[in-house]
Amino acid sequence: MIPLDHDEMLLLKGMEGVLGIVKAGEHNKFFLETDKEEILLFLEPEDLLVASGFEKDEKTMKGLKCVLYMIRELGSPFIVLPKKHPASRRLKIVVSAGDRTRISCSITPGTHPEQDILCGSDEFDGVEIRGVKGGVEFKNLKEVQIDRIPFKI
Amino acid sequence: MCSVGDAFNIEITSLEAKFFKCDECRNEFRGIGRKVVCPSCHSNKVKPMFKEE
Repeated sequence: MIPLDHDEMLLLKGMEGVLGIVKAGEHNKFFLETDKEEILLFLEPEDLLVASGFEKDEKTMKGLKCVLYMIRELGSPFIVLPKKHPASRRLKIVVSAGDRTRISCSITPGTHPEQDILCGSDEFDGVEIRGVKGGVEFKNLKEVQIDRIPFKI
Repeated sequence: MCSVGDAFNIEITSLEAKFFKCDECRNEFRGIGRKVVCPSCHSNKVKPMFKEE
């Protein structure tokens, strides 16, 4: 287990992409907005918000923090686009929320009904991330650099 | 549990979200999670309801 406090963020730096992870914390209510309805997602403090960026540059890492900050601290909603929406391919960062996230680099549009899969770069393929008390547990994680940084803008 | 942005990776209909009704303010909403509270009045006196209700 890698320790993670509620005021910290984990950065997993791969060769092709980066993951940012924060605890859901006390901000337990999140909004999922589809084109048809609004769904409220209630998380536990030890659950995780995981953001995946498809570049590894400094801008992407700052972007991960900003996206997670907007979601957790400002309460920005999750916008769920309809399938095949043209905006999907424009996105630089995607986010998952829950007690467990699995990273996949080989998912095909429209074929994955699982709710806990998040797109990621090759080196994170198959990685499972689980929020546990006081930290984060990983499965299938290869050698990547992991930094624990303050979660503040 | 839920992904966003890469929207094609989520089947929103497959989420195990339920319809809830608040006993305090009668607000109706769809939610998922272990500690569901009313988004309108923040009461935890909410009950799952059937779609037909």
